[in-house]
This record gives sequence, C-alpha cells and structure tokens, in this order.
Amino acid sequence: MKSIPKLIRRFMGIMTLSIILLVTLNITFFAILFVRNASTFSPWDMADHAAAALQLTDSGYSLSDDIMAKLKEENAWAVLIDNDTRQVVWHTDHLPDNIPLQYTLSDIAELTRGYIDGYPTFTGTAQNGLLVLGYPKDRFWKHTRASWDYGFIADLPRNTMLLLAVNIVFVFLIYAAVDARLLRSIRPITNGIQDLSRGSPVCLKEQGILSELAEKINKTSAILQNQAEQLRKKETARANWIAGVSHDVRTPLSMILGYAGQLEASETLPETERKKAAVIVRQSSRMKDLINDLNLASKLEYDMQPLTRKQENAVSIVRQVVVDFMNTNIEDTFSFEWKTADTLSACYINADKDLLKRAIANLIQNSINHNENGCVIYASVDEDSTSCRICIEDNGTGASDQQIDRLNKTPHYMICDTNTTQQRHGLGLLIVKQIIKGHNGTMCIDHSEYGGFKVILIIPKSIYPPP
Amino acid sequence: MKEDYLLNKRILLVDDEQALLDLVLSILKDYGFQNIKTAKNVKEAMEQAEKSRPELAILDVMLPDGNGFALMEQLKKGGDYPILFLTARGEEDDKFKGFGLGADDYIVKPFLPKELLFRVLAILRRSYKDENPLVCLRDSQIDFSRAEVIKQGEHIPLTAKEHDLLSVLYRNAGRIVTIDALCEAAWGDNPFGYENSLMAHIRRIREKIEQNPSRPVSLVTVKGLGYKLIVEGK
Repeated sequence: MKSIPKLIRRFMGIMTLSIILLVTLNITFFAILFVRNASTFSPWDMADHAAAALQLTDSGYSLSDDIMAKLKEENAWAVLIDNDTRQVVWHTDHLPDNIPLQYTLSDIAELTRGYIDGYPTFTGTAQNGLLVLGYPKDRFWKHTRASWDYGFIADLPRNTMLLLAVNIVFVFLIYAAVDARLLRSIRPITNGIQDLSRGSPVCLKEQGILSELAEKINKTSAILQNQAEQLRKKETARANWIAGVSHDVRTPLSMILGYAGQLEASETLPETERKKAAVIVRQSSRMKDLINDLNLASKLEYDMQPLTRKQENAVSIVRQVVVDFMNTNIEDTFSFEWKTADTLSACYINADKDLLKRAIANLIQNSINHNENGCVIYASVDEDSTSCRICIEDNGTGASDQQIDRLNKTPHYMICDTNTTQQRHGLGLLIVKQIIKGHNGTMCIDHSEYGGFKVILIIPKSIYPPP
Repeated sequence: MKEDYLLNKRILLVDDEQALLDLVLSILKDYGFQNIKTAKNVKEAMEQAEKSRPELAILDVMLPDGNGFALMEQLKKGGDYPILFLTARGEEDDKFKGFGLGADDYIVKPFLPKELLFRVLAILRRSYKDENPLVCLRDSQIDFSRAEVIKQGEHIPLTAKEHDLLSVLYRNAGRIVTIDALCEAAWGDNPFGYENSLMAHIRRIREKIEQNPSRPVSLVTVKGLGYKLIVEGK
C-alpha cells in the first residue's frame, strides 16, 4: 500500500516544521524580553548618576531632587563613604538600621562584589568618596560573580546549536520508534482491508493498539463471506433447478419428437397427416433447443460452465457447423452459401470449440426460426491483423432499425434485474453474447447486404503461431 | 441405400423407461433391424448380453441398479463391440468428450429418429466395414476389404490415403464431410495446409470410381465446405 509511507512523510514534515517554528518563537520571545529589560534600567548607571549629582554645599552633602525622587520610587537608599576616613559622611533618610556607618577595606571590597547584609549594592565614584546605592533585597536576582571559563563562553553558540541538534535527533528517534510500532500494527490492518476489497476471507490477530479495528475488519469479512456464500448457494440452486427441469423434460420430449418423426416419415399416412406430424417435429425441436439454451445460459451466467480454450481454426469450426446443419436439421426451403475466401484456409483463435460451435449454430438456428418461408443463409470467415470475423447472415425478412438497436442494447430478461413483462429476444442470442464475451470478443447485429439479418462475431486472433 | 449385412446385427437396448425402449425399438424395427433385445437394468442387461452376444449396445446412462458407464465396462469384458449412449443429461457432455471411456458415440435426448438411425448406421459401418461385400456406387463398386474399386469389370487398387478418405466418406454416406475432417482422417491431428493435396487425392479417386471424373455423380463437391459420397441402394 502506497499511502502509508506518504502518511509517514507527511507526519515527519509536520513535526520538523513545528520544531523549527517553536525554536524560532522561543528565541524571539527571549530576545524581546532581554532587550526590553536591559534597555530600560541599569542600577550601575543609576549609581554613577547619583554620585555625579551629589554636591557638597555649606550645609553638607545634598542630592538633586529628581535623583532623590527616583531612589524613593525604587525604595533604594544611598550612603557616601569618605575616601580617607572610610566613615559614612552622608546617607539618605530611610537607611535600614543594620547598614554599618564605618567601613574597613575588606568591607569595601565585599560590597563592591554585590551586597551589604543581603542588600544588592552598586557603587559610583563621587568627589571625595564612594557612593553606595542599596536596593531592597528582592529587587535583583542574586548571583555571585562566577568567573565564567573563557572557552565555555566562546563555545557557547556552537554547544547550544549542538544541543539543539541532539535534541531534535532524539525527538525524531523517539517518533520513529513510536511510528514503527504503530506501523507494525497498522500493516496487517491495511492488508486486511485490501483482502476485503478483493473479496478474499480475512482473519486478523486481534491484539495491539488497533485490536478493536482488527476485530471490526474480521467481523466485516465474515459478513461479506457469508453473503457471498449465500449468493453462490442461491445461484447454484437456480442453475441446478434449471438443469433438473430440463433433464425431466428431455425424456417426455424424446417420445414426442421420436414418434412425430416416425409419423412424418411414414409412407402409409396421407400427405396432410404427415404435414401435421412435421409441425409437431419442428415445434418440439424448438423446445429441445430452448431446453438446451436455458441450461447453458444459466450455467454461463453463473459461471458454472468454465471455458476450456485451445488454439482452434475458426474456418474449420464454422465449416463444421454449417455442414452439420446441411446434414441434418434442414428443410428444403433453406440453403447455405459459403462466402469465405478460398485463400483463407485457416484463422487461428483461442477458443472453446464446443461453445463456439454452439454460438454459431444458434445464429444459424435464429435465421431458420425467423424465416418460416425459407431463406438463404450466408456464412463467412474473414480476418484482419488482430481479429477474426465470423459472419452469419440471411436474405430473409430481417429486422427493423429499432429492433436491431434494441437487440444490440437491451439486456435479456434472464440477466435483467428489473421486473419486466416486455418480450425480449430469445435465449439463443443471449448465449451467443455470453459465449463471445467469454472469448473476449464482440457481437454486432446489423442489416445484411442480402436483405435480411446479419450477425458478426469478432474474436481476437490467437497470439501464438499455428502448431 | 440399405445395407442388409448391417440390418442383421444383434443389438442390445438398455433403458429403464419402457416408453423409451418402445420408441427406440420402433425406430430401429421400422428401418429394418431384426435382432434387437431389450433390458431394463444392469442385471437384465448382463444376462441378455451373455445369452444373445450383441454386436452393438445402446445404453442409457442412468439405470436403476447402476450407471451406464459401469455397465459398459462389464459388457466390454464379454466381447469387443461398439457402444452408443443415450443420455438425458446435458451436463454429462464432458464425460463423453473424447470417448475416453470407450464409448463410440452418444446422443442427448430428445433426438430425431433419423439422427438415431444415422449414428447407429455410422457406428455399424465403421465397426463391421470389412464384412460388407461391396459398396455400390452409380458407376462402380468399392471393396473395402481388398482396398479396390471395381469399375466395368476392372479391378483398380486404392492407395492407403484413398482408402482412408473413402472410408470416412462411406461412413457418412449421403452426408457432407468437411474438408477439415477429410484432411484429419488422411493426415492426422494438425491437418491444416493440406487442402491442395486433398483436392489431388479426390481427383484421383474420381478417376477410379466415376464414369466421367470431370462430371462426378458419386463423389460430389459441396463448394467451399466438403464432399459427399452418394451410395446406391440395392
């Protein structure tokens, strides 16, 4: 089944696309966040500004109002440590209690690394001392000044990409593994569905993640098989019924045909009586043909008569059928003309000889049945590069355009699935149609150039050269 | 055209239905057959066969105490004579194809009297052709046992091919035999491409049997289809 790899390819595509999208989205998000945070506010700048804005006046140190306002807003405090005495010489009003007012060198070193008693601190250089700006304890994320290895930072982009790649590969591997499992459980199901469509029985193992589906398919298969079996039984019963009836009619018909035949040939009976006997013979012969046709038609329709095809010479088959008619079944009012070219002694087709003979005999019988007053029947075999054309025509009453059209198009009542009381053509032509279909050929009904009815059977020529 | 030597042949007729036995009996008797025995089942048939030693058996396929095929095998043990089947079952056709079981011919019911007579006569002619003293034609006689033609007191020998062709034509006397059937009789299974040879042989046969070979009256041509041998009645 071709759709499974296609399905997987599509899934993989969608996944790759979603991974790329996610990564891009994340990078963009972080970049925006970072840029916004970084650009708005920096406490180091603030410390420098404050240090610059600190002025020594007569009444001591003082900070400009706007800086003071900003510090207040941030809830920050500031102290100025004198360079020489290392004592706090100035501080903002709301200084937390535990901030020392005297600093040692090591204290200074400590606070420049970040904190005084947990308060994040930032320093700026003022005129005579160091301005220390302190913020509330939870204003900034605490981190020690880890000394990042240079190599680590330098390789960071490459390593990040590598990590990302490894991640993606892992995701794919996991996906492939899961997919393979799913596929393993899907394959029997797709095979089962294919078998279903072919009409063969399906029995799947009902296990794994798709066991429910398998169970449903098994059920469907069982239903289909059951229906097919019922249909087969019905068709067999019908064909057997027809065969049975035709068998039972044969023996009584033998008596009628046999004795009427004797009466017809009797030399002691007067002419008028013999003629009556002849009518009985002719009509019972038609019944006999009907029984044979009915039986064969039902068998062909239900595929109970398999064709056994061999390489045969169509010319010789048609000749034999015509001669059989001339030898037995023919009244004086009917005559035959053989119209096959003398140069064509053989035309090889792949045929079931008995059935093809039957088809041709039916066509001839058809001409006889429809021309009570007699006619000339013309038989010919013709060929072109690919097919063999067998033509049976007569100079009898023929048929109207409308009738011919109907014969070519409407189905016979035996194979017509709508209720109909309309009189259709006889079984004879149906059998010809069925037989020719079995030979991959076509049947065409037309007007004859001799004035009557014409049927052409076109059968593909045998591919292999004659033996 | 009646051949007396055939009419004396002993025929065994087996069918479980009395009406059908009567019919066949009537057809054969009307034609002139005189030695006909009947049986209605396998048991009777075996008894009758032992008593009357038939030269042709006509058997129904379905019998009350067995089938015709088994009966045929039993009959064949008692003597080698031709067997013709009567069957009401179209679907039995396959069994008869090629007559693999040793049947010589079969007729599907219902049948016309002339059809039955033709089959019976054809089988008898084929099986007992050497007993026929002479086949009479308009201008000559054929002696199959010696493979020669007697025309105006002169004995003209037939070649093997001419003998084969005439045998087939005689077996189907009064009927057309197709070109293909004649070629097959003379040249075997793949008889195609022998049409010209056949014409040459027919011409030579006519020279032997006809008064005027260019205007044949006994071996006539049916244009495009085949040939017909016309045998004179006695």
